[in-house]
Amino acid sequence: MSAARDMLCDTARAVFTGASDIAPVEEAGFALLLIPEAEGGFGGDWGDVDAVLQIAGVTVPDLPVAELILADADDRLRAAATVSLMAGAMGQALALSIEHVNMRQQFGRLLGKFQAVQQSLAVMACEVRAVEAAAAALAARLDAVGRDPSAADFEIAAAKLRANRAVGVVTAVAHQVHGAIGFTEEYDLHRVTIPLMRWRGAHGNDAHWAQILGRQAAGLGGRGLWEAITARGA
Amino acid sequence: MQGFALYPFDPPGDAAALRTDLRAWLAANQPAGDVVARANCWASFDANFSRALGAAGYVGMTLPTRYGGGDRHPLERYVVIEELLAAGAPVGAHWIADRQTGPLILRYGSEEQRQRYLPGIARGELYACIGLSEPGAGSDLAAVRTSARETAEGWRINGQKIWTTGAHFSHIMLALVRTEEGSERNAGLSQLLIDLDTPGITIRPIIDMAGHHDFNEVFFDDVLVPHGALVGERGQGWKQVTAELGLERSGPERYLSSHALLVALIDAAGPAPDPALATLIGELTAEIWTLRQLSMSTAAKLAAGEDPMVEASVVKELGNAFEQDMPRRVQAIIDRDWDDGDDLARLLRALLIASPSFSLRGGTREVIRGIIARGLGLR
Ligand SMILES: Cc1cc2nc3c(=O)[nH]c(=O)nc-3n(C[C@H](O)[C@H](O)[C@H](O)COP(=O)(O)OP(=O)(O)OC[C@H]3O[C@@H](n4cnc5c(N)ncnc54)[C@H](O)[C@@H]3O)c2cc1C
Repeated sequence: MSAARDMLCDTARAVFTGASDIAPVEEAGFALLLIPEAEGGFGGDWGDVDAVLQIAGVTVPDLPVAELILADADDRLRAAATVSLMAGAMGQALALSIEHVNMRQQFGRLLGKFQAVQQSLAVMACEVRAVEAAAAALAARLDAVGRDPSAADFEIAAAKLRANRAVGVVTAVAHQVHGAIGFTEEYDLHRVTIPLMRWRGAHGNDAHWAQILGRQAAGLGGRGLWEAITARGA
Repeated sequence: MQGFALYPFDPPGDAAALRTDLRAWLAANQPAGDVVARANCWASFDANFSRALGAAGYVGMTLPTRYGGGDRHPLERYVVIEELLAAGAPVGAHWIADRQTGPLILRYGSEEQRQRYLPGIARGELYACIGLSEPGAGSDLAAVRTSARETAEGWRINGQKIWTTGAHFSHIMLALVRTEEGSERNAGLSQLLIDLDTPGITIRPIIDMAGHHDFNEVFFDDVLVPHGALVGERGQGWKQVTAELGLERSGPERYLSSHALLVALIDAAGPAPDPALATLIGELTAEIWTLRQLSMSTAAKLAAGEDPMVEASVVKELGNAFEQDMPRRVQAIIDRDWDDGDDLARLLRALLIASPSFSLRGGTREVIRGIIARGLGLR
């Protein structure tokens, strides 16, 4: 990660933490993230957007940070932004779950020492990893094509669909290993799991993106699909 | 596991040209063969194809030229195996030698072993098998009992391996054996490179539920191999095997071995599939795209000299789940009878039958999840 992005993330963490409305985020200049430096902006790329939105997904999932950064962008870019929010929130759900099972004891042992709990969390971690990878690969593609959503249509569809499909397992396992405490208003878990449920349906649910991607793949043909995937990256 | 970033997949040279050249080579050299052999193609044996592939420089690519290799970067090899698997090329004969035995001999083997085995591996002519599992040592590999005692003439081996894929056509076995009498668990184990034509070795087929002869039982009855058969350090077998498994788990074969079915599904669906079929194709496409990103990132990390044990396990877990899910979901939606003879029906049947093995071979699902849980700090 570049030094500039590190600083950007530090700022995002500092500004977002505890923010109860969008005003401090606006004041900190996040609307300028994608504006070129020549026009007085930050001159960031989608990798920066991804990093900032992953933090927003953890700290301020209910504030319209993505809307602020993207202004009047194409809805497909909003779908892409949602993938980053989801990756962040899923990482947080995993972190909270690990923390919890390493603290809570039952039957005289930490929950995390029970193999059934370990195996569930491994399954969840794989889903989180998949979404993080999808977000990162989508960001790389968007930056490679100058953020033209038409040139990244395949990646947007694939990444949003993959993220949507991870929501079920991630929220279910996170709540299961938390027990009743995770179902309370006081405890932080719902601060990421409810947004995840909401984001699954926002800017294209599973059926929406699966149809688009499925028709695109079918149009390419069996062999053509592989050729397209390899031609689009690495 | 926190703070995940994709490791850049950046092979040196012109990867696109490497891909194009190989596609052209495959168009001219891949045997038409049966469509079913294109699925699970790293279990498809074809000695002529392996030899031709070796002659074209696509086997042992990462080995140094002085041992007959191509001195290529591991990510160039990745591009090549990705293409071979996506095309369903019959790479089973040389697969294990190329993927893991060759690199392991290069890393830990003596100069004599390298000169003796690597050139044949790079020609695609010398095949290897993996001698880990035993009747009493499956998931619990540290329970290995096959013993090798050092004598004046060499190592004397007694015991049994099981589930050994390709032992019946392989020239060598890289075996994990107990070299220290009275040692327990993962101490006192070493790796021996055993020529399979040595007297005292009996190889018996085990027919799998698909009716294929892929794996075997291998018996060692007072088998004498030279002192020089020891690979790496005596007593360090456990450590070396663990490194070998890293090579085995994260490759594109963990999500591309059923690729032929996806290709057949899409081709059968035609350019304008009905909504249910389009949904399925879309979901499968999203999954292979994602898996490919994870697998490439893990390969890049491995190539950079890191040990991505947890990432490799994530690729295997998700890849296995995808490959077991796919035939079930395809069957749930397409209209085919079990005995239908078209490509799609035959691939479907073959993969439904093969798929239980995906989460067993190379480490069971439970063992893999245990490794991931350790990476999460839970064990
Ligand atoms: C097609 C195929 C090819 C193979 N090729 C080779 C080869 O070339 N060389 C080789 O050495 N081996 C090979 N194997 C063997 C493979 O590595 C073993 O099958 C595997 O390690 C599991 O061992 P097992 O079959 O004895 O099952 P077991 O270890 O008996 O396990 C049975 C079930 O119990 C579960 N289990 C076991 N212990 C635990 C635990 N502590 N906690 C939770 N669950 C547990 C397992 O996950 C599994 O689901 C092959 C297997 C297959 C299917």
